[in-house]
Formats: sequence, C-alpha cells, structure tokens
Amino acid sequence: MLEVEGLEKRYGDTVALDGVSLTVRPGEMFGFVGANGAGKTTTMRIVMGVLGADAGRVRWNGAPVGHDTRRRFGYMPEERGLYAKMRVAEQVEYFGRLSGMAAPDARRSADALIERLGLAGRRGDDVDSLSLGNQQRVQLAAALIHDPEMLVLDEPFSGLDPIAVDALAGVLAERAAAGVPVVFSSHQLDLVERLCDSVGIIKAGRMVAVGTVAELRARESRKRLRIVVTGAEAGWADRLPGEIVARTDRSPLAAAEEHERYDEVILVPTDDQEALRLATRAGRVQHFGWQEPGLADIFREVVA
Amino acid sequence: MNPIVLVARREIAVRGRTKGYRYGLLVTAVLVAVLAMLPKLFGGADDHAIGLAGARADRLQAALSAQAAQDADRSIKVTRYADEAAARAAVAAGDVEAAIVDNTSVISKTVLGTGLSVLLDTAHRMVTTEQNLASAGLDPAKVAQAQQVTVMSRVTLNGSGEDATVRMVIALTIVVVLFMLLLQICTWVAMGVVEEKGSRIVEILLTLVRPWQLLAGKVIGLGVLGLSQLVVIAAVGLAAAQISGAVPHLPDGTYGVVAGVVVWFLLGYAFYAAMFAAIASLVSRQEELSGVLSPATMLMTASYLVGFFVGQSPDSTLARVLSIVPPFSSMLMPVRSTVVRVPVWETALAMGLMVAAVAAVLYAGGRVYQRAVLRTGTRVRWSEVLRRHS
Repeated sequence: MLEVEGLEKRYGDTVALDGVSLTVRPGEMFGFVGANGAGKTTTMRIVMGVLGADAGRVRWNGAPVGHDTRRRFGYMPEERGLYAKMRVAEQVEYFGRLSGMAAPDARRSADALIERLGLAGRRGDDVDSLSLGNQQRVQLAAALIHDPEMLVLDEPFSGLDPIAVDALAGVLAERAAAGVPVVFSSHQLDLVERLCDSVGIIKAGRMVAVGTVAELRARESRKRLRIVVTGAEAGWADRLPGEIVARTDRSPLAAAEEHERYDEVILVPTDDQEALRLATRAGRVQHFGWQEPGLADIFREVVA
Repeated sequence: MNPIVLVARREIAVRGRTKGYRYGLLVTAVLVAVLAMLPKLFGGADDHAIGLAGARADRLQAALSAQAAQDADRSIKVTRYADEAAARAAVAAGDVEAAIVDNTSVISKTVLGTGLSVLLDTAHRMVTTEQNLASAGLDPAKVAQAQQVTVMSRVTLNGSGEDATVRMVIALTIVVVLFMLLLQICTWVAMGVVEEKGSRIVEILLTLVRPWQLLAGKVIGLGVLGLSQLVVIAAVGLAAAQISGAVPHLPDGTYGVVAGVVVWFLLGYAFYAAMFAAIASLVSRQEELSGVLSPATMLMTASYLVGFFVGQSPDSTLARVLSIVPPFSSMLMPVRSTVVRVPVWETALAMGLMVAAVAAVLYAGGRVYQRAVLRTGTRVRWSEVLRRHS
C-alpha cells in the first residue's frame, strides 16, 4: 500500500505542493487528475525519489521508501527518456538488469512485453527509428520489465492511438488485478473514469477531492434532472420548479424534426414530481431522469 | 550483477559498436604505424650517391671513401663524370644526389641535407688543404699522415646519443597520444552525461541505480575503451618501429615507460573525466556542452603544449615543477621520465599529489553531478551546486 502524507514542495516563492496526501491500496488503480502545473508530476517525482520534498513523507507498506524499495517500482516519467542509439529489446532488457533481474529472466520478460505491446517486429531496431507512439510503448515496457510492485506512470496515455490505449489499459488492468497499486495521471477524464477505482483531483498543489468516482458523485450535492420534451410551446420551461443549469432548443436531430419544437433542460429541481407533471402537460416527454455527473463535470466543478 | 558493471558494459557495448569508434581505432592504428616507420621512410638517405667531375676527382674520391669507412652506418657510392655538363645531367636525372665539380662547386637539385653537406665539405677541405700544403713544399705523404685524425668518441651522460633521439620521439608521441585520447574519451563522458540528462532517461535510471554508480559505470566503461585504444596504439607503434627497423633496438626501460604511461593515463583520465562529467551535468543540451567545457579543455590543452617544452628541456625548473603539480603531472611526468631519469621522490610526490587531486575531483564532481543532473532546463549555476546546503 502506498501512503503519501502532507507533501510540501516550493520553488523559491512558488508553492508547487501544499500538503498533498493520498493512499493507493493493493490492486487499486488510482487516477491522478489536475490542470497543467497543478502538481501531479511533482508528486509523482517525489514518490519516485527523483525529487526531494520540503516536508511530508512517502511510505510503502508502512515503511519509509528508500532506494532499494524504489528499484522494485515501475516508473514512466512525464518526459520520455530512452537511449536513442540502443536497440529496443536490448534497452528494455537493460532496465530489467538494472533493477536486479538475472540476465535470462530479463531477456524472457523483455521478449514477452515486447510481444504483448505489439513491437515484436521492431525488437532489433534502434529506438530513434521508431515512431513516437512506438517509443512510448518501449518506455512502458521499460517501466514494466521487472514486474514492479507498484506502478507510477505520468501521462502514459498521451499521444497513443486508440488501439495502443486499449493495449496499455489492458496491461494496467492486468497488473492491478495481480494486486499491484497503479498510479497514473491523465487529462483524458473519460479514460480515468472508465479505468480507475479511485481518483484524486489536485488543484494548485492541494488535493481538492479524493475518492472513488461514486464517492465523488455523491459529494456532488445538487442532483440534476435532464428533461427532453418535444412539441411544447415556447417558454413552458420557465415555470419549472428549481434552477435551470442548462437548456437548449436545438434538437440533435434538427433537420428531420424541424417542424416540431425541441426542448432540453438540465434542472436542479425543488420538486421533481411537479416538474414531471409540468413536462407531461407541456408536450411529449422524450426523456426524464436524474443525470449522473461524469468525472469531467465533477472536475470542472471542483477545480473551478 | 553490480549496477556499476552493468552501466559500464552498456557504455562499452553501445559506444564500441559505433562506426566512429571502430574506424577511429583503425585509423589511429594505421596513423601510429606510419608515424613509427616515418624516420625510416625519410631517413634512408644515409646511403649517398655522389658524382665527381673535373680536377682532383681522384683525391676527392679517396677522401670520401676514407670518411665513409669511419662510420659504419654510412656508405657512399661514387660515380665519375667526364665534365660538368655530364655531372649536371646526372644530378638532374637523380642518378646522384650531388656532384662536386673541379673541387670548387657542389651541384644539387635543392639545398643539401646537413649530413651529406658536412661529408662533402670535409672531403673538399681535406683535398684542398693537402694541395695547399703540398704547394707550400711539404711532403704529401706526411701531410696525409697528419690528416689522419681519429674521430672523437661520444660520451653522453643519459644513454647513447641515438637513444636520446629515440626517447625524444617516444616522449613527444606520448604527449600527442595522451592528449588526443584523454580529450576524446572525456568528451564521450560529457556527451553521455548530457544525453542522459537531456533525454530525461536519467530520471528512470536514478530510480534504479544511485547517481555515483551511474557516473562510475560510465567513466569506467569509457575508460576501458580508452585504455584498449591506448594499448593498441602502444603495441602497434612499438611493433611497427621495430619491424621497420626505424628503431633497431628500443632504449632500455621502454616497457617500463609504457607501463608508466598507462598508470598516468588512468590517473589523468579519472581526474578529467570527473571534471568533464560534473561540468556536463550543468547543461541539458549537447549544443551548450562545448561552451561550458572550454575551461576544462583549455587546462588539458595547456598541459599538452607544455608537454612539448618538457620533452625538449626536461631538466628546466618549469618542467620539474609542472611535472609534479596535478593535473599537469599526468601528462608531463610520463614525458619527462621518458627523456631523463627522474628522481624517485619526484615521481612518488607527483603520483601522491595526483591521487589526492583525483580523489578531490571525484568527490566534488560526484556531488555536483548528483545535484545538477536532475535539474533540466536552463543551465545550472555553479553557485547553486557548490553551496553546502542545497
């Protein structure tokens, strides 16, 4: 289990981290979300010991993290780094050896990963002859080669095509299923929502929300109704009880049903039953239901 | 396996298979072989073909033969020509190197080499003196007898005269080779540091190995490559010199000198490599490298240039002092001890000081590297990495 407590880091007058805490349990996939410069990379670099913190601590299974522990972690830094003039398989294997694997194990593991990540045909090529997406796969293989006890991946999905995204998501899910805590940062919130058991949202060096996606939704205090009505008269929605958060009268199928009026309203209701009655009276109700806020909605609200 | 060994092996494998390294080694070997044979290729002129024409040709020929007989390494072949025109033609055609006409003038294509010039002048002086004395009424036989002078025997305090020249050549070769090799490998170290820092691969590496292990592995790996180059150069050079006969027998203690060069090379390499690595860790891009390295490169170049001076006047105060002061000693002491016999205490002092300097630079360089290598972006300032609390 990874426990990060009260990390603080400042560069001169700039506060990069202001008491960041998070916990990732075995087998948990933790999505780290935040605007650019919010402190995701700084946090991950401190966890990996690449950067020193001014205050706070990082613990692994209850003990402070030292160099020997970190050798068993898998790390993919924000800025990709590989030896340009080294062959793919040779390079992945090298990282395995550096983490303490015996030569035959490292070779076997490298071969399996290269195969798995779809690079089998390129194993003897120099890294700089690969496309950026393929280089990223090599980078990932380098982070996974030693079957790490924990994974810390900074923006692992950026720049990957959808197929590579699925392959990577599969590999990460597999590791998590094997009991490995996985921490990764991403700006692709739909991906985070789909993959992660829990999410941490960081803003200006502070964790503003941590929990499962369901927990974060529950925190979202105001429940929203989504109502779609066709054939109503203009202005009917003004009488709805509560606050209208968003509305549109442009149908997604506008061209086909132009002769009929279309209304879509997102409402924070004071009386949901009254709202339903008003809607059925106004026209044909196409949709009436509670709206689950997506991670993107939560993120916008929390960060705003 | 020890991470240092792994890092070193990677450096050797990756750098060793580049075309630059392989061809570089080949070209160096060929160059050294040619250099070693050079004295033979150009110095074969101890066999002289000389033409004679006109008056006193008989006496000149006798005088020349007498001189040649006194020097085992020198042989002459004399050809007689009917007149000046024939002699000129022979010189122009290259049949003879020079021709003496009427015991008054020497004809040659270009200015004569010192050796041949002295030979001809001496013969001319002998014949003319003989003639002058004879015309003054002295007995030619007695004159000839009086002119039989035994050549002075040469006594040199530092080995035979021939040895001194050979030693000088070896010393100067050592300076050139040490300088080229040190500069090349230390530049590799610096480039490697920047490559890892610039590409940020160092972030991953440092989660797996400690900074000093990474640095040590790099320095050792490239050092092994450099040392193997040095050994190839030494072996090829010595072999070629002996095979070609340019150096019939190596001066006493040549192998000791070579061993000394290897030790000094290692010390100098450790010193400069740590220095280059520390400096390189301050910048993130290869383009910035030559700029920040220039003070270190200048230090090395200064040692190199002083090395030529030391080779020529090894006993001057400057040479004695600088061959003890690190880091100059790493290049100057092997040169000096090749040319002259250096007192043991001086060598011991120089080596002790150099070892201390290497330890200091390794310590300081390692700290600078550790602090600067993860700080990408703009150039890291010295004041930031040398402060005690940072």
